[in-house]
Amino acid sequence: MAKDLIVSTLRRTGRRFLSSVPALVGVLVFTFLLMRVLPGDPAVFFASGPNSGKEEIEFVRQQMGLDKPIPQQLAIYLGDVAQGHLGRSLTTGQAVTADIRQRLPASLELTFTALLLALSAALPLGILAALKPGSIIDHAVRLACVAGVCMPTFVSGLLLVYVFYYWLGIAPDPTGRLDVFATAPPAVTGFLLIDFLLAGDLEGWWSAARQLVLPAVTMALFVLAPIARITRASMLTALGSDFVRTARSLGLSSWRVVVVYALRNALLPVLTILGIVFSTMLGANVLVEKVFSWPGVASYALDALLASDYAPVQGFVLLMATIFVLVNLVVDVLYGIADPRVSMD
Amino acid sequence: MPTMKLPLPFFVVVAVATAAIAHAPAASAQSRAETMRFITGGAVNTLDPTMLGTTRESFAVSMSTYDRLVSFPRKKQGDNWVFDLENVRGELAERFAVSPDGLKITFHLRKDARFHDGTPVTADDVKWSLDRAVSAKSLAAAQLLTGSMTKPEQFRVVDAHTFEVTLPKPDRLALPNLATIYPVIFNSKLAKANATAEDPWAQNWLKSNVAGSGAYKLEAFKPGEQVILRRDDTWNRGGTDKPAGFKRVIAQTVPEAATRANLLERGDADLAIDLQANDAASLAGKGGKVKVVSTAQYNAVTFVTFNTQMAPFDNPKVRQAIAYALPYDDMFKAALFGRGKPLFNAVWKDGPPSADFPIAQPVRLDLERAKALMAEAGLPNGFETTFSFNLGQASLAEPVAALIKESLAKIGIKVDIQKLPDAQMSTMVTEKKLPFFTENIVAWLPSNDYFYRNFYTGQQRWNFSSVNDPKIVEIAEKARFEMDPAKYAEYGRQLNARAFELMPQIPIWQANQDAVMAASVEGYVYQFTRQVDFRDMRRQ
Repeated sequence: MAKDLIVSTLRRTGRRFLSSVPALVGVLVFTFLLMRVLPGDPAVFFASGPNSGKEEIEFVRQQMGLDKPIPQQLAIYLGDVAQGHLGRSLTTGQAVTADIRQRLPASLELTFTALLLALSAALPLGILAALKPGSIIDHAVRLACVAGVCMPTFVSGLLLVYVFYYWLGIAPDPTGRLDVFATAPPAVTGFLLIDFLLAGDLEGWWSAARQLVLPAVTMALFVLAPIARITRASMLTALGSDFVRTARSLGLSSWRVVVVYALRNALLPVLTILGIVFSTMLGANVLVEKVFSWPGVASYALDALLASDYAPVQGFVLLMATIFVLVNLVVDVLYGIADPRVSMD
Repeated sequence: MPTMKLPLPFFVVVAVATAAIAHAPAASAQSRAETMRFITGGAVNTLDPTMLGTTRESFAVSMSTYDRLVSFPRKKQGDNWVFDLENVRGELAERFAVSPDGLKITFHLRKDARFHDGTPVTADDVKWSLDRAVSAKSLAAAQLLTGSMTKPEQFRVVDAHTFEVTLPKPDRLALPNLATIYPVIFNSKLAKANATAEDPWAQNWLKSNVAGSGAYKLEAFKPGEQVILRRDDTWNRGGTDKPAGFKRVIAQTVPEAATRANLLERGDADLAIDLQANDAASLAGKGGKVKVVSTAQYNAVTFVTFNTQMAPFDNPKVRQAIAYALPYDDMFKAALFGRGKPLFNAVWKDGPPSADFPIAQPVRLDLERAKALMAEAGLPNGFETTFSFNLGQASLAEPVAALIKESLAKIGIKVDIQKLPDAQMSTMVTEKKLPFFTENIVAWLPSNDYFYRNFYTGQQRWNFSSVNDPKIVEIAEKARFEMDPAKYAEYGRQLNARAFELMPQIPIWQANQDAVMAASVEGYVYQFTRQVDFRDMRRQ
């Protein structure tokens, strides 16, 4: 029975993923065309040495394949993508796949940590607020959420840097994933916290963890509001429902009522929001990455966009679309676990 | 305080974590003192400076990892040190001689010079490197062209340590050109070993590898993040026979300007040259742990430019009218906080007082005169136009644009302000589509004719105003090959006079470069690259 369930889940997952391939191709083509409609000309931008003229511009254009007609460029690009090549970035001089492989773990590590922080704060806050609607606690939670969401991340980021680094001097300098004077662990997963543990270097792990605190808190503050508010709303619905009243009237402990019966039923909307929040955090937190010099994918894509560097922007959008698809899949699978009534079809 | 609004659990998490942080062990103090941590908003994208798209930060790294045949010594400008274009000295060349007719330059190479892998530097390496500079598709060929070096036949190996450059005409910029970023000397054996049939000049390999003899060896390179350099203790080409001052240099990208200022003030970083003008000003006022060396960038100019091929700016009277309608003093204060060298409010008695470029212009805010000139131009009621600037320059250009808009409204010109992302701005400038804008220029070899030839002639991007004046072309070409200093100065004065008469663009100022550094760091020299030469720096 359980085996059947796993097999059918896997089959559905596979089908679901295949059905999203056309969407991915669509995103790819759309980004490709969009980049070419933008008014900046990368050849001009990159051939801008003090004396470069038409010849250099033509050469860069040729090197980037921009001298060919757009349909042909698109065909070549799609062929390259099919073979796993995303082109070369002119801003960093590296292959886009290499850049992304190096930078994605940085973004993921930060996003996961921030999400974990946000969850561990937002769930209890949302539940507390729902248990005592209209109370001081409820208002305090609402205030915190409003403050978190209305303060742009670069403001809260700079503020945290100012207080904990500049003023109190207890945070490490906000420049990247590791102290510049520390040695990086041998790269296994790309996640520094994991790699340091694998290397058995606790001092290094501590150094990487310290660097992570402020940016993760900045990001967590920003997504606190949606998670806490949704938790509160769906908990309120769950707590007011018949089965909770029944459980209460049966004399079950209030802990059991809240956590087992109400919370589990309230989790579905929270999961949906989490999926969206995660994908947004990964791509949209360019400001946090800039403030903390975090070598992530979002700031990479922004720099490339400003320079009209096509390949990295296209690669980034493809990556984000893929992650979005994957996250939605994971959320769907989690739905089934949180609520067995939900089927994936 | 806004932090009080943070939800309590977070505050506790942060406080606990950060309190523990305070007790973490510090890096060894000894090695810290011997290391220079340079922070910058830009990023190093290649180790081969000749690659198309090379960033300025990459120039700084290649200055230290490679040697050139010759280099610029330093000279005093006010209280500060700046590079000296006039007195080129040997770097890999122990000495050099220019033939009396100016057509042949002979270099005698240092016999003790070695590449990082231990192979001696020979004339064959020099020949391969300069051949590469003029032959390979890169930025180098266009630069060396300005010094009349265009083909491999001009470079000859005399013996293992003697090398000769032949010129078609005596060119005053030939020698200085060899001190610039591009003609670096590669380890030709190592480079050739990594060349391929499609890539005979090993351009791909050299992007992420160093094959040089410079003062620093490469320790680590993460494109877009940081470069770590380690000193070559045997290097002795800095003019003093001593190796560079710091054992180790970390060049790190820190995109946020406020963070860079914080790092410096806390003493965690040693040097930055790209703080915002107001941060630099406030750090300079604080004294103590941080010092600021402020040098007017004497090879860079900020312009307000007109497109001379586009109506109504094709009329010199309109350009002159605007030149008398800009609120120069207010612009200078608002954009630069007064940190720079103004190029306005000058008084010329009898034509331009010197052959310097840029030269302070006899323009000042004079609305009456501007109105009169507008009437003479047949536009007493003004017109509408756009004023564009580069988003990357917004902190400087935004106040300038706002003040220009306000002031030109008084003579009837309605200005729309247009902010453009970097790539878009360079495209529009190259395609000559902007009517009225502000841009900066830099000349590595800031001699008068070089400025005029590159920025006031031709159809390329750098002739911002698209000025097409036969007289400027003629005088600048004559000046280029003029070896007599007195005659050269006369040509320079003529060019300055002609540029003022035509007013295709108004040089407004030379902004300061604020090098902000730890009090213990010294030796900073303003370089032609507008970057730090790590080899100059040391700790007291």
